[in-house]
Amino acid sequence: MSRIPVLGVAAVLAVALSGAAPGAEAVKLRPMEPVYVGGTGVGVREPEGIACGRGGIVVVADTGNGRLVPFEVQPDRLAPRPEIVAPQFPAPIRVGLDSRGAMFVLDGRSRRIAELTPAGEFVGYVEPKGDAAGAMTPRSFVVGPDDRLWVLDVGTSRVRVLDRSGAVARDIAFPAEHGFLSDLAVDGKGRVYAVDSTAHRVYGAGPGDPALAPVGEDLRRDLDFPVAIAADAHGQLFLADQNGGGIVVLGTDGAFRGRRSGWGWKPGFLRYPSGLCFDATGNLYVADRGNNRIQVFQITE
Amino acid sequence: MNTRVHRVATAAAAIVLAAALPVAAQTGNPYHLKPGAKGKACLECHTGFEKTLAQPFVHTPVKAGECADCHNPHTSDHGKLLAASPETICSECHSDIVPKGASSVHQAVLEGGCVQCHDPHGSANKNNLVEAGNALCLTCHDDIGDAVKAAKFRHAPVEKSCLGCHDPHASTSAAFLLKKEVPGLCLGCHTADAAFTRQHQGYPVAKGDCTSCHDPHGSSRGALLWADVHKPVETRMCAQCHEDAGSSEPLKLKRAGADLCGGCHRDVVNEASTSNQVHWPVVDRRACLNCHNPHASKFGTLLAAPMKTLCGRCHADTIAREERSLAKHPPVQDGDCTTCHAPHAADNALLLVEANTIELCGTCHDWQMHSTHPIGAKVVDPRNPNLNLDCLSCHRNHGSEFKAFLNFDSKADLCVQCHQQYKR
Repeated sequence: MSRIPVLGVAAVLAVALSGAAPGAEAVKLRPMEPVYVGGTGVGVREPEGIACGRGGIVVVADTGNGRLVPFEVQPDRLAPRPEIVAPQFPAPIRVGLDSRGAMFVLDGRSRRIAELTPAGEFVGYVEPKGDAAGAMTPRSFVVGPDDRLWVLDVGTSRVRVLDRSGAVARDIAFPAEHGFLSDLAVDGKGRVYAVDSTAHRVYGAGPGDPALAPVGEDLRRDLDFPVAIAADAHGQLFLADQNGGGIVVLGTDGAFRGRRSGWGWKPGFLRYPSGLCFDATGNLYVADRGNNRIQVFQITE
Repeated sequence: MNTRVHRVATAAAAIVLAAALPVAAQTGNPYHLKPGAKGKACLECHTGFEKTLAQPFVHTPVKAGECADCHNPHTSDHGKLLAASPETICSECHSDIVPKGASSVHQAVLEGGCVQCHDPHGSANKNNLVEAGNALCLTCHDDIGDAVKAAKFRHAPVEKSCLGCHDPHASTSAAFLLKKEVPGLCLGCHTADAAFTRQHQGYPVAKGDCTSCHDPHGSSRGALLWADVHKPVETRMCAQCHEDAGSSEPLKLKRAGADLCGGCHRDVVNEASTSNQVHWPVVDRRACLNCHNPHASKFGTLLAAPMKTLCGRCHADTIAREERSLAKHPPVQDGDCTTCHAPHAADNALLLVEANTIELCGTCHDWQMHSTHPIGAKVVDPRNPNLNLDCLSCHRNHGSEFKAFLNFDSKADLCVQCHQQYKR
């Protein structure tokens, strides 16, 4: 059973009330007790994805065990819920939650996104419909603030925004020059960001932009192989550096603001981190794949 | 008074200007040599130079006795009393060697290594080259020389001169210092007539990239094809992948991406669709072409480059880690990435070919002889209850800054990671 120390509510409130992003140089990741097991007592194995829902639910794509492991965020701990196993996702690699608690899971084997009820029952596959449908090869996806699915489609080199019916609401092209895009995030203003693992870049697009464009500079010096991205409530970007074993923080302008955590086995350290999300209180959750665990970091100044 | 001030100012400006100009650009007698001493004073000591001056080709300033064009007779910050750095001194006169906007530049030129090819004083060869003909180029490009020597069929211009196709300094229009882009360069000799078209099954390949099938230097296969040829190319079954030669778009592919290749390579498609982890480039827009050439290749399995180069295009951090590493892991150093990783798909994280690390390492290393330290399924890592101790508990397989690619310095930090009672 995992326990999370009581949050520094006053500090978080002070930042929220000031209306400004925390001093980026001062962003610190305070590790809490890692999560090693799910509801059945079975240890987490090579988790690749994690999603933080608005209702205080965190779901882990426990890839190595072929299951989803939901947790309820309580003030002092993560309370495990029953695991979810289904033939539609033998190798879950990304997971998402909408505002009503519905779950979405990307399977690494079929490379399809399945929709599940809040109770974990399979509803169907999310696939583009309509005139602009076409085939889709999702590498990752995220549920946006409007409950639409933003899908990183590496098969057609674009971000596809799908509404609940599967209708394509918008297509955002990858940049003309790019390497391999691995993950995406959508901030509170509807701006989408994608991380390029091999070109060491972050790209972004505003609500009306037809294509992703570079944000900030080449991060080759600061990153080995980033595979996951998340935006906090202030619009700062956090990248999981898989091969470097760390978290890199970027400002809202994409500028490098610091590197946190590091390669290691002990709590607070990371090995091949591959998924990130922020909960409603601003805590950062990391799918620490190489360490078979979930790490939770309180963001402090 | 005013005139005098003007004269002094003019003289001062002239002195400053003269000092600012490179020695080579100055005319006259900057070192105030005695009359008749120019070109002779140096030879009083450098007597061996008489032989150089007798060479058939002598560098113009040398011939003119202008030794001070390149050398400072008194002092210098550079070797051989050069008046400027060896990387830049030639360009003070030969500034037009690399044209603006060049598509490719010879590495030696880029680095200012002119003397790798030219003798700065004199030579038996035209342009003061240190060797004549292809022998000069093959001093560095010996891999090409060896390959051509071993090839059953050699491209005739290669035997004649590398300069038939390549510019020695830079190319304004093409990569690899080529005088023109392919196919324009090839069509300079090979006419795309009816026979040519027949040889290519009626396809308009004269608009294509000849080097996607042919080795421009030489090959032991007929028609100078690369060593590894895709079966449909070898059997002249172009229509297996491309639209018919007589169609409106004959070079268009019948299907896109992996759908096309999967028509024959079902094993790879099945592997990718039944494994838990796929190598993502296999299913992206370029799919198979991310790593393979569709027609022919110099390397095995139609790879577009040697494996280390190919994998390193995306995984540059891993290659850099190996290069920085104190100890070298042979499969990484040699670019045998597939010793440990599946190139298309696998059920294991990081596309490892074995789920169990100890088993994987054990395919090369007899780990039971390695150490008496307990490892395996029954030994829990004291740092992490969800991990068992295995080879990677101590070693970082792609490299580290410590001996035996350990994760930590063995004396200071490694053992006390777990054995904390011994921490000092």
